[in-house]
Amino acid sequence: MTAFLKDKYAIVGIGQSRIGKVPELSDYGLQLTAVKNALDDAGLKKQDIDGLITHSHLLGAVRVHHQRVAERLGINTDFGLSVSSGGATSGLMVQVAIAAIEAGFCTTVLCLHGDKGRTRRPEDVHETAGGNAPEYGMFSATAQHALGATRHMHDYGTTHDQLGAIAVAFRKHASLNPGAQIRDPITLEDYHRSRWVVWPFHLLDCCLVSDGAAALIVTSAERARNLRQPPVYVMGMGRANNSRGWIYGDHMIELAAKESGAKAFRMAGVTPADIDTAQIYDCYTYIVLATLEDYGFCKKGEGGPYVEGGRLELGGSLPTNTSGGMLSEGYVEGMLQIVEAARQLRAQAGPRQVPEAELAIVSGNGGNTVCHSTLILRR
Amino acid sequence: MAYSKPIPIPSEESKPFWEATKRGELLLQHCRDCGAYRFPPNFLCTECSSTSFDWKCVSGRGKVYSYVVFHRAYHPAFAADLPYAVACIELEEGPRLMSNVVGIGPEQLRCDMPVEVVFEEINSDISLPKFRPAAVKS
Repeated sequence: MTAFLKDKYAIVGIGQSRIGKVPELSDYGLQLTAVKNALDDAGLKKQDIDGLITHSHLLGAVRVHHQRVAERLGINTDFGLSVSSGGATSGLMVQVAIAAIEAGFCTTVLCLHGDKGRTRRPEDVHETAGGNAPEYGMFSATAQHALGATRHMHDYGTTHDQLGAIAVAFRKHASLNPGAQIRDPITLEDYHRSRWVVWPFHLLDCCLVSDGAAALIVTSAERARNLRQPPVYVMGMGRANNSRGWIYGDHMIELAAKESGAKAFRMAGVTPADIDTAQIYDCYTYIVLATLEDYGFCKKGEGGPYVEGGRLELGGSLPTNTSGGMLSEGYVEGMLQIVEAARQLRAQAGPRQVPEAELAIVSGNGGNTVCHSTLILRR
Repeated sequence: MAYSKPIPIPSEESKPFWEATKRGELLLQHCRDCGAYRFPPNFLCTECSSTSFDWKCVSGRGKVYSYVVFHRAYHPAFAADLPYAVACIELEEGPRLMSNVVGIGPEQLRCDMPVEVVFEEINSDISLPKFRPAAVKS
């Protein structure tokens, strides 16, 4: 069990690049911008970093990516690792950082992800699109997630108005975030009018494609107390994988979030009712709804009514994705969810601050609903 | 007009499956130890890890577990088909596979709709298993 790790480690630095279209920077330019900003934020020098964990998923072909980053940053490290668990990676990097420090491999770990998703040139290497049945016209993560939404609608009567409420709420939050990629508020009518991509998903059910990077620095609570920022303590951690695949059993509608979330709540000793703000991996609107169900904010099947009526908006009972999420702020594969949770808990979120935010939950979800990670953070 | 959609390339494991679809048969691996059917074709049983199996001809009956409708062509050969549906079919024997439901429009598809297999010959080597709404039993 991991209960003995509760509150023992903290996120002490957060940093990001500009998000959206950033054609003037390379992949490494974006990444190093985020690293520098995280170091400045924490009041640390690069030599203080003795562990480096990076995720270069979208770069695909880059092997030993952490080494490429370290040489460009100009540091030697005691512990270095390049990882991928899809959209679950961001939260998992924090957990692996804690495990490495606990094991004595290193003391202060920088976690990094980011790339040129939006303005990559055609000649740049990019992973080819997934999809396991191209002979039938089955392509894209969008279609794989959409299958889950269809079944959820069939089983529980979930509606487009309910999925749309999620898109509208997160865009409203993005309008308060000067760094967000898209800030123009939308209405439910705009949502319904946006074109179909793969039914039942409208364009506005789908996350953005972005240039961008973000970095986090993790160290012990003891060291954290002497640093520049108020520590954001890691109170609960969970992870789980529905490794038999997204097509198997109930996996389309019951995510690995259920087991991952239960572990995190158990470790933290809190319940969903204690959470002040949620930062949920929103690759698609439907995944937000399913994740909140699986985390126990409502029962399975009741996610539709739960997300209506402004509950996820600032001022609602569970302000969610307060920076706009991947649907509106930008897609850095879950990293910005952790950054925003930290900002909220440090009371540095400006006009989008959740008053008195003490506890935040962050989800990461990847491998087309298969891999999951959960963090419960506190101020 | 030449067939320009992606064509499956049979692997060591899936070759008997594709040989059978040419004959109009749907074959699944059936574990000799625990009796589980499995798909896609795999070296070992995903239930009990046994490597001992038979290929068994199955009913070809099943239901639509879920489906989606493409309004965007991710591959140029599908552009003329838009909007078209892809369905996740749950066979009576348990395994699920992705396919198309033929003979009805995307708007007529429903979850749990009963379907049965048909085969579409795309060239001399490959016939794709597809599904149509099941005939009503008299």
